[in-house]
Amino acid sequence: MATSEVYVLGGYQTDFGRNWTKENKHFSALMREGVLGALERCEIAPEEIESAHVGNFAAELYCMQGHLGAFFTEVHPAFSGLPTGRHEAACASGSIALLAASAEIEAGRYDLQAVVGIEQMKTVSPAEGGSFLGTAAWYDQEAKGVEFPFPKLFGRLGDEYDRRYGLKDEYLAEISRINYGNAKLNPNAQTRTWYMNKEHALCRTDDNPEVGGRIRIADCSQVTDGVATVFLASRAYAERYAKGTGKKLEEIPRIKGWGHNTARLRFADKIAESQSDRYVLPHVRSTITSAWKRAGLSDVNDVDGIETHDCFTTSEYMAIDHFGITEPGESWKAVEEGWLEIDGKHPINPSGGLIGAGHPVGATGVRQLLDGYLQVTDQAGDYQVEGAKSFQTLNIGGSGTTSVSFVIGV
Amino acid sequence: MSAKMTSPRPADLRKLLGGREIERVVVLGANGTMGYGSAALFTTAVPQVTFLARTRQKAEEGLDAAVKQVRSPTVRSRSSVGSYDDDLDGQVAEADLIFEALTEDFEIKREIFDRVEEVRRDDSIVATVTSGLSINQLCAGRGDSFRKNFLGLHFFNPPNVIVGTELIAGDDTDCEVVDFVEAFARLRLGREIVRTADTPAFAGNRVGFKVLNEAAQLAEQIGPVLVDRLVGPYTGRALTPLATIDLVGWDIHRAIVDNVFENSKDEAHATLELPGFMAKAMEKGVLGDKSGGGFFKKDGKARLVLDPASGDYKAESEIALPDLSYIDEIAHLHSMARYSEGMEVFLSAEGDEADIARKVIAGYISYAFHRAGEVTETITGIDMIMGAGFNWAPPSVLVDTMGVAATVRMIEQAGLPVPQKLAQAVTAGEPTRFFDNAQVNTGKYFVAA
Repeated sequence: MATSEVYVLGGYQTDFGRNWTKENKHFSALMREGVLGALERCEIAPEEIESAHVGNFAAELYCMQGHLGAFFTEVHPAFSGLPTGRHEAACASGSIALLAASAEIEAGRYDLQAVVGIEQMKTVSPAEGGSFLGTAAWYDQEAKGVEFPFPKLFGRLGDEYDRRYGLKDEYLAEISRINYGNAKLNPNAQTRTWYMNKEHALCRTDDNPEVGGRIRIADCSQVTDGVATVFLASRAYAERYAKGTGKKLEEIPRIKGWGHNTARLRFADKIAESQSDRYVLPHVRSTITSAWKRAGLSDVNDVDGIETHDCFTTSEYMAIDHFGITEPGESWKAVEEGWLEIDGKHPINPSGGLIGAGHPVGATGVRQLLDGYLQVTDQAGDYQVEGAKSFQTLNIGGSGTTSVSFVIGV
Repeated sequence: MSAKMTSPRPADLRKLLGGREIERVVVLGANGTMGYGSAALFTTAVPQVTFLARTRQKAEEGLDAAVKQVRSPTVRSRSSVGSYDDDLDGQVAEADLIFEALTEDFEIKREIFDRVEEVRRDDSIVATVTSGLSINQLCAGRGDSFRKNFLGLHFFNPPNVIVGTELIAGDDTDCEVVDFVEAFARLRLGREIVRTADTPAFAGNRVGFKVLNEAAQLAEQIGPVLVDRLVGPYTGRALTPLATIDLVGWDIHRAIVDNVFENSKDEAHATLELPGFMAKAMEKGVLGDKSGGGFFKKDGKARLVLDPASGDYKAESEIALPDLSYIDEIAHLHSMARYSEGMEVFLSAEGDEADIARKVIAGYISYAFHRAGEVTETITGIDMIMGAGFNWAPPSVLVDTMGVAATVRMIEQAGLPVPQKLAQAVTAGEPTRFFDNAQVNTGKYFVAA
């Protein structure tokens, strides 16, 4: 099926190290900074925006606030009356908002859309927040009464790898080290000043306590306040935009392909389904390969880097073989060979990912696409992958439940 | 301004590293706050870090403090300790980087550099963390190899939390050495590097302590509580000025402002003179938080406040404040990220108090812009160090938020010199943005309080 092209004009993210509660700021302040910052950086007048999609997981729980599409109209008087909506798919909420917006561009409904991923999480204690996150699983059956349910679910993912192929914790520690190391190069990364090296990630003392099976603090992504915004445009608008900003149309990145699958909700059901498959989470694999197919790419060698969903080190370990960087079960090889480093063969998470840059749940998918945009337009500063022309994202909601992947490139 | 004042492009950083790594660092003065803090930071990326101090015992104390500061047992596994007498020669001879963090005393530093120069390898780098002594004077009279490899690497305290770092080359420092140290500090240590000239207190402390000292001077007239309310978080900072001086330590504050006062002559000279009441209180042992109190002192859950005139403390609850509802109005606007509207209220607020607050902020902007070209190549360097080193709204961010015309009016009304660059922008009449780093999310500086 031939579809129209979807261009990415750029965007903006807040500093994920911020604690907006400590700054005495309301949820609306995040939305405002995220959107106005993007307009300014991309030199787009507010009057140009035709529609907005907001990705958010659980503002009702964290902030006692729903109806987030309407908050978009609070940002600027020109937005009053715009069609807006909110999208939810746990940690993949941001990507679902992107899919909806890009589908509307492809359908020719609008020429310029704002997509805002947003989450404020530091409003509650870690334990309470952990319980809220449990609603991304089958709450009654997998999370109710469990302290920090998600580290335990992703600990089980590591256990499944261990059972099928063997898994050494030192490779997980190295994944943590790389993400923290990359975050040091990213001024908007949450852990930029946090102490980490491989030995620390491997240490088994109170400085790195266990939170769920084989998952320790150093294996976890962060509790983060943050917003990321991107603008998606039709070819017609992108042509005008290129002209107005002195660029060539070819220099403006496009969403070249996408993949989207939803697996069964409970982790045990997913694992039961995949027993005879080469991949532990075959639906995640399918998301990645369908994005390649739509982008006309053959495999991972056709992209210059990846922003993946490392909610835990085990999820990045899973992503490595699901992207086909190694054969299934051999992700450790890529870690050992140094392929994942910024100047390696297959850079993963130059931004620092969810572990290093932070994980404001509903914002993550948008932040990943934004980082892809910065990479392929040579604007990623100290975490730039040299010469990157094509980047791929993988955003996952729940325990490998909703998967979305985008290929962005020039 | 020389090439040494310009940072390399991000794309060139990895090339500048050129495969060279820092495998061994020796920290001299590793028992002091900056010594062990820096040493802890080095252990994130360097496999072997040696803590040296006057005695082995003191070096051990430094290592304990470092482990405690970053809460990682790996600090210990990557570190060793020793004393100057027993271990300096052997350790320095093998070090790739010798990092000096002794007391801010020219003679003490000179003595240790004598010993370092005798035993160091010709290709090793020698850095000082001095927060204001002249880099050129510190290496004057030494051999070529020492001077070529010597520079200032000024971390802010605590280095593991504050990424803003000043890099100061001497006249004879090799360009390649400066570039390599910048690449190493950015890529391996995650530093935000600002290159500054070898001027008193460099860039951050020159501008920052001017504002802090002016706040201390004001405390004598209107009292510490009102000063910290007026120059409070809503003006673009997480920590209020007098609380900052208490945290930094009054002795450090005095060392920095005395150095600038004695060694520079600028248009705001008088604001850099240490207030007499501080000198007097220091004679009685008042040093800020580390001595149990400074401008403020904890009294259980309550706070006691210094009366600068008498040197006595009284309960904060007994201190009456004037009507400051304009600050509440600004905080409310900031809480919704309406920063420009908030600062409009600031600019138009009536009363003596608002005048005082505007004078301090106008002084900050005016002073910073007048230092551009002197302490850094452009205002961007000062902006970056005020943001990443002090966690204050950079001067350019304030100008952009308030508008350049309104800023110039505020500076004029305060009776302060208007920086040429701002005056020109007003004359040109075109919209100008002064803050020049698209990666920085500037809203974080405006705290809604």
